[in-house]
Amino acid sequence: MKPELLPVIGPARFRSPILLASGTCGYGLEILEAGALEGAGGLVTKATTLEPREGNRPPRIAETEYGLLNSIGLANPGVEAVIEKVLPRLEGFPCPVIVNVAGDTAGEFAEVVSRLESSGVHCGYELNVSCPNVENGGMAFGVLPRLVEEITRLARSRTARLLSVKLTPNGGDILEAAAAAEAGGADAVTVCNTFLGMKIDWRTGTAALSRGTGGYSSPALLPLVVARVWQVSRRVGIPVIASGGAWTAEAVLELMSAGARAVQVGTRVLRDPFAPARIHAKLLELVSE
Amino acid sequence: MTDCDASVKAVEQVGPGIFRIVLLAPGTARESLPGQFLMIEASPGPFPLLRRPFTVSSADRAGGTLELLFRVTGGGTGALSRLSRGDSVRVLGPLGRGWPVSDGRWLLVGGGMGAAGFPFLASRLGPHDILLGAGNAASLAWTPPGALLATEDGSAGTKGLVTCLLDRIDPFSYERIAVCGPVAMMRAVVAALPPGVRASTLVSLESRMACGWGVCGGCAVPASGGGFLRCCADGPVFEASELDWDRIEEAAP
Repeated sequence: MKPELLPVIGPARFRSPILLASGTCGYGLEILEAGALEGAGGLVTKATTLEPREGNRPPRIAETEYGLLNSIGLANPGVEAVIEKVLPRLEGFPCPVIVNVAGDTAGEFAEVVSRLESSGVHCGYELNVSCPNVENGGMAFGVLPRLVEEITRLARSRTARLLSVKLTPNGGDILEAAAAAEAGGADAVTVCNTFLGMKIDWRTGTAALSRGTGGYSSPALLPLVVARVWQVSRRVGIPVIASGGAWTAEAVLELMSAGARAVQVGTRVLRDPFAPARIHAKLLELVSE
Repeated sequence: MTDCDASVKAVEQVGPGIFRIVLLAPGTARESLPGQFLMIEASPGPFPLLRRPFTVSSADRAGGTLELLFRVTGGGTGALSRLSRGDSVRVLGPLGRGWPVSDGRWLLVGGGMGAAGFPFLASRLGPHDILLGAGNAASLAWTPPGALLATEDGSAGTKGLVTCLLDRIDPFSYERIAVCGPVAMMRAVVAALPPGVRASTLVSLESRMACGWGVCGGCAVPASGGGFLRCCADGPVFEASELDWDRIEEAAP
């Protein structure tokens, strides 16, 4: 396989196939300040909602023996603050920025996209129809193809920029959801969000996270994501962006072999903000062999 | 924020489950300020998945070394305690906002391993007094000359909690009061101080952290005005009045 090293997805072009996953790089300011964007083809911001959200009560994270559970709860300053205070600071950002968008209704998703259109800083949107950490939120949408299509169609009507729909591995049929996103006019699908997980102290019966369940991420998820990327990319004609389990350059190439046009790196970046450059350098070395 | 390979110069056990590690990391040692912390990757493999946060116990700018004091509480700290001279660990830092060091007189109040960062702070302060508490004498990780001590079993200093030492000092004689220890201890110390000095009281918090550099939102700390602050980037040193102690205690693991 000869992977495309400068992927084009819809109307957007990326500097490398390695994207920073939503929730693991904030709005890019810290990683920009650290000078750690080398190797990153693009960056997906934190989920942005219509109103500001405080996020969930702590504890919000719990490490398990082989992974990380999180339940942040889409904490974000709200779309207006993002437009006024955050995006202007990303002017001239070294790589394309995709804004991750979340909402409680299809109308809310479209409204957030609509308002963000006033900024020229970002190249597109990732619709988060799959967050496992909010009560009436994303995940219910993500398992219902009809709703995925409606949300996508409505958002599509507001923007000509890149539109990717981030799908859930938790319940429902991810292939049907991917087909619905394509039917709604998405340029791509992101496969996939974190896996619903939970940690309980068996001695006390208490959950490690305040909300009980959370989203599970780990390099050990790689085969699960490879399978989903492989299946989805055979079902739909639009590009697939892989997300989950990508810890190494080898994992990135494996996900691309499964059909991904680009691969998001997330939890690895939390541990190592300079990982994109390390993974990219290794990837170039591997493909030139 | 830089990420470097630090070489281990020494690891020694200094108390029950308490270790001292010395790392050679000249750039990080030069940049570090009292109250800041480091995210340390003790093992190059993928697990444990996350780095672990450690406050800087002392930094020798000339020698390029950093010292950490820590108690083994799980896999990450366990791996760190088993390192030996010549091994290498990755060190991300310095991170967070530390103590606002100033020239006036300070009071340092430490509980258990909460005192781990105080040697560094004390080394950069002018006049200061120190109150330290722990379960027993062996658990006092740091006992500088002149410090007033309290232990629950009476094996060192006064028998009792560190709060019982507060009536031996004049809280109004300090420019700043720095408190670090378990949540209940910090809360008790803040509550025992006269209202007039609370405005100058600072605490340093601990939290579970995923990134340590401000992006993940995992280390949210309840703020007094509602909402949350990030322990890693807004802290770990906070004005005691910035925090909602009821909600912090509720969420303490």
